[in-house]
Amino acid sequence: MHGRFQAPRLSPLAGGILLGVMVHGTLLLSPVGTTQAGTPEEAGPKSLRLVPEDVALVGRGAAQQVVLLGEFADGMERDLTRQSQLLMSSSGVATVDASGRVHGVADGRCVITATYAGLSAISEIAVSCSDKERPFRFSRDICTILTKRGCNSTDCHGSVPGKGGFKLSSNALHPRDDFEWIVQGGTYEVLTEEVTEPRMPRVDLEQPQKSLLLLKATLQVDHDGGELLEVDSADYRTILRWIQNGTPYEDAGVTKDTEIDHIEVYPPMAVLDRQGHRQMLVSAFFSDGSRGDLTGEVAYETTTPNVVEVTQEGWMEGVGFGETVVVVRAAGHVATARVAVVAPSLDNYPDLKLSNLIDEHVFAKLKKLHIKPAGLCTDVDFLRRLCLDLTGTLPPPARVRQFLTNDDARKRETLTEALLASPEFIDYWTFRFSDLFRVDYNARQNVKSTQMYQEWVRDCVATNKPYDQIALERIAAQGNAAPTQNYYFMGNRTPQEIAAEQARVFLGVRLDCAQCHDHPYETWSQDQFWGLTAFFSTITSMPNETMGSALILDDIHRQAVHPRTKKKVQPTYLDGQALAANDEDPRGRLVAWITSEENPFFARAAVNRMWSYFFGRGIVDPVDDFRTTNPPTHPKLLDALAADFRDHEYDLKHLIRRIVSSRTYQLSGQVNATNGDDHLNYSRSLPRPLDAEILLDAISQVTGVDERFSAVGHPLAPRGVEAAAPPGTRAIDLVPQLYPSSFLEMYGRHGRATVKDRQNQPSLAQALHMYAGSTYMPKISTEDGRVDGLLTGGASDREIIEELYLRALSRLPTSEEATQLETMIQQHESRRQAVEMFTWALLTSREFAYNR
Amino acid sequence: MNETSCSQCLEASASRRDFLSVGSLGLLGISLGQYLGLRSALGAARGSRATAQACILLWLEGGPPQTDTWDPKPNSSFKAISTNVPGIQISELFPKVAQRLDKVALIRSVETREGNHPQGTYESMTGHRPSAVTQFPSLGSIVAKEKGRRNQLPAYVMINKAYAVEPFSYDPAFSSGFLDARYSPLVLEDPHVYGNSKADRPHEVADWANLRMPDLSLPKSVTPEMIADGQSFLSIVDQQFRRREKLAEFSKMDTFRKQALSMILSGEVKRAFDLSQESERVKKAYGANRVGQSVLLARRLVEGGCRFVTAAPYKTGQWDTHGKNDTMMKNTLAPSADQAISVLLDDLSQRGLLDTTLVVVMGEFGRTPDMNPFGGRDHWPHCWSLVMAGGGIRGGRVIGTSDEKAAYVADRRVSIGDVFATIYKALGIDWSKTYETPSGRPVYIANALDDKLGSPIEELL
Repeated sequence: MHGRFQAPRLSPLAGGILLGVMVHGTLLLSPVGTTQAGTPEEAGPKSLRLVPEDVALVGRGAAQQVVLLGEFADGMERDLTRQSQLLMSSSGVATVDASGRVHGVADGRCVITATYAGLSAISEIAVSCSDKERPFRFSRDICTILTKRGCNSTDCHGSVPGKGGFKLSSNALHPRDDFEWIVQGGTYEVLTEEVTEPRMPRVDLEQPQKSLLLLKATLQVDHDGGELLEVDSADYRTILRWIQNGTPYEDAGVTKDTEIDHIEVYPPMAVLDRQGHRQMLVSAFFSDGSRGDLTGEVAYETTTPNVVEVTQEGWMEGVGFGETVVVVRAAGHVATARVAVVAPSLDNYPDLKLSNLIDEHVFAKLKKLHIKPAGLCTDVDFLRRLCLDLTGTLPPPARVRQFLTNDDARKRETLTEALLASPEFIDYWTFRFSDLFRVDYNARQNVKSTQMYQEWVRDCVATNKPYDQIALERIAAQGNAAPTQNYYFMGNRTPQEIAAEQARVFLGVRLDCAQCHDHPYETWSQDQFWGLTAFFSTITSMPNETMGSALILDDIHRQAVHPRTKKKVQPTYLDGQALAANDEDPRGRLVAWITSEENPFFARAAVNRMWSYFFGRGIVDPVDDFRTTNPPTHPKLLDALAADFRDHEYDLKHLIRRIVSSRTYQLSGQVNATNGDDHLNYSRSLPRPLDAEILLDAISQVTGVDERFSAVGHPLAPRGVEAAAPPGTRAIDLVPQLYPSSFLEMYGRHGRATVKDRQNQPSLAQALHMYAGSTYMPKISTEDGRVDGLLTGGASDREIIEELYLRALSRLPTSEEATQLETMIQQHESRRQAVEMFTWALLTSREFAYNR
Repeated sequence: MNETSCSQCLEASASRRDFLSVGSLGLLGISLGQYLGLRSALGAARGSRATAQACILLWLEGGPPQTDTWDPKPNSSFKAISTNVPGIQISELFPKVAQRLDKVALIRSVETREGNHPQGTYESMTGHRPSAVTQFPSLGSIVAKEKGRRNQLPAYVMINKAYAVEPFSYDPAFSSGFLDARYSPLVLEDPHVYGNSKADRPHEVADWANLRMPDLSLPKSVTPEMIADGQSFLSIVDQQFRRREKLAEFSKMDTFRKQALSMILSGEVKRAFDLSQESERVKKAYGANRVGQSVLLARRLVEGGCRFVTAAPYKTGQWDTHGKNDTMMKNTLAPSADQAISVLLDDLSQRGLLDTTLVVVMGEFGRTPDMNPFGGRDHWPHCWSLVMAGGGIRGGRVIGTSDEKAAYVADRRVSIGDVFATIYKALGIDWSKTYETPSGRPVYIANALDDKLGSPIEELL
């Protein structure tokens, strides 16, 4: 297409006003102000821009991808590069091909003009040092090939032990190691620095062409990974030349200035039409501040290929509606872009009312994606949702009726405040945080210590303790009476387990992999892991049997030992700053670092986790897996919420209020033409399964028959624990290890042995239990239970139906439902049986088992 | 027994069975061509030696002492006795197994890392050491996933839940980990865990009748007609919500409900789980105790169509003989296991199920070569033994050797990954497969020490 005139989509005769535009001496005719066009796309762009605006091509063979973007009436930006005319003002300085790749020819300056539909845009180009070869650098020139060709991916040689006796660092995170493994051979040893297996060099200096590195990749000898490189391709020649030159690590005179500091992808958030295309731009930013183009030298990978496909040149195609992440790997660096494929825009996108900062960010993105959110949910839906989310308890019928008839415009706010101040709020959030902080019991300890810990959690919730204070008390527990010491003495916990867990809970990062080796996808190194672990290796305890507790203190002479170097490790923050030697309070210092305003993790991790309790997924999901390759769906929202949380002294109730008062939280579940497939952008409320404890409590509540929990026969039942929990004890009050319950385990109760996400997965055992188990029918048909009471209390069929609907689903039946059910009950030979089975149907329905 | 006679014997028994089964198919009008096709298909299966269709695991909870079981040494109080395979000796505590050793392969050089029960159980059942980040799937879950369901029966059943008294739940060791929950075992709750001191005595006769799947029969007051009514009510109650929401979990639950109902209403499934269908003679033969009865139930389930049945009849730490090792071994632990294993092999063989049923007997580790001051043996993961039989495994063989005290591996170290790979290969599963963890990390289904790929013990296949 290079140099060819691209006809505008609409003929000049279509009726628009003809305007002549003079671009570099060529007169172009084009319609402007066309009104008859069907879609915004057909109507043509409102304006054009060519990116990047300034191109500096430094060194021999330097190139830059440019992209022509048109802004259209529907708010979309579309890639027009390949349909446009690209013209270089001086082909002696630089050339451009049809896909928009600019190559420097000779030193000088010129301008590239892109023209489309009568509009044009320019970029300025400066070529310098065009006769100078770029100095060789292994980390850039060779590692780039290893990344681009996938050699060092985590399922090939980049896996922890490598593959086929050949190890590379994943994505060339550690070029020095790669260099050694290629030139000298050897593989990564997890536990020691010493090489135990024979080394096999991958290069042959005598006969460079016979180097294994080349023979394998070109499939001249057997290679499990297949052919990754063609003989005599440019990359092949680069590697060959390097071996012929004697495998230097870098040329003399290479300076730090030209090391890549980071890479960026443009655009970070792209929106495509289905079957639409867009070229990605990847830039390297060097230590000296200069910028270079990497678009053609990186590996592209889409996490959902049925949404977007991307070629190894970075050319994306929208395949199906949805949203995905495109991961871009350059040697030693990773960046991501979110890409959405959207349906055509809506003619009259509604003007949405924003309740607070949450809506601002959520709705802005929805608009960009051409998704119309559902309307506001009904009062009953809101009531059930809020009661479950704030108190884990279904609203009693009286509350439902009262809320429905209340016509106060601010009744949702009033309800929120009432629930926030209720005792059930304390019970429920004690349960939530007991899960997160793992309030547990084991046979080796005094149960008092478990109880103290649970009381501490309860106190945190009851007094709405600031979250940074909570972190301080949990991490830096000291002395004889520290309630959170329980956590430190659960099981045989090692400092590295503790460090990894605290990082997950309070920083939202999973460092665990880095215990044995550098994190495979991230820049977390083994050294960082052990630096963090060293803050906890000092913990010492002296059990105090009579108190049911232990004295906990730090002995700073107990230092962690690095498993590979066998050297003692100084406590070191994740940012690389080490703790001053002989500091007496390592954990206290660590908390100060974690909760400091500059810490990028703490507030984000907290708000993200809290968010997930209300929406069933985190803005980063899984909630404790923050990493470059797992970007947030709404980065600005996450930042804004984190800042708001910090500005309000880490006030959890404030955060909850923010969330539940947003329109986003209060949307209905209604599906419209645009939001049916959306699971990421909160365009409607999605049903969330009730957790095991909540479900069991709800069944007991509806049937009016308490569950009796018993530790009778518990082989190691601790002294001081009631064998049978007092009547009225709810499932959410239990410490799992003290009171077994087959129902709760069947429904995925959190055993609290690890920090993990709950698994609310349906199972065969649950299904069997619905029919034959002790929780459903026996409770329903209990004498003096709710159903029995209704049957014998003189209520009409209609009243029974309504009462049980209100109890179980927090709503009244629709008139259709009520009529059908009434008929079925009346036609049944046994009224009792019919009502019982109707109740069974309610309790086993999906609507009951989910928060809608 | 040498290799030739063993495979001839296999061949002969297989032919007899082929004839019988094909003969009966013939009555249904099978053609000669179909017969030949079937014959060659059977041949192909034998050629690859992947003849197992299901696996029974007898789980020796607590860790059996290698010296007093399959790897007799002078540091055992018990004598070594000869078996029906010349040159192979086992402990005198297992005289019945000794007489069937031609069907049994012994592995005497298993080495693992974890020396505590929960962690050891986890390592032995998943091939991985416990991790706070990833819950790995258990052997049974992987087999269930790879082999799928037969008949109406669940693919993976665990007879008696291992209950947790330790700071660590045993469940993850036997569950589906990061795989879909449908690969978790259907667990028969132990009727004795709470409120019955007899749980301590697995050989008690009184225990057997209670071994049943709890939620498999409707409560007395509920009839199938009532369930049908309930379903009609449900279709009205849930209609509005289900019309709007099409979650994958909903259809999964629908499938489970359908399966559950057919299990509850179908005679076939109930029969498979119903021990009372067995004659008193057979029940007695397996052993009038929980060990015998759970192994018998495992056999019934495999026959019915289950793919992987873990018989875990022991209470937590039953084999954990820190004190009075010899008395416990001699009086309770060895006799019931000896009897159950032997009768299982005979029974499978008589029913023509031995080639298609792999039997594995193991615990989470071995025990110390030296006695402690309490006459007990403590935990020992450095070198231990296990048993495999049936499912195409070549019997009468010993893999690996230990040193003079069975303290360390002397030759041919076998990892759990190797054990898993052998089991997979016997079942016709691609043992070199990887699964991807939720964070995208590929892990071997036959994971050996230090995350290396295990390999099948070819001498047994």
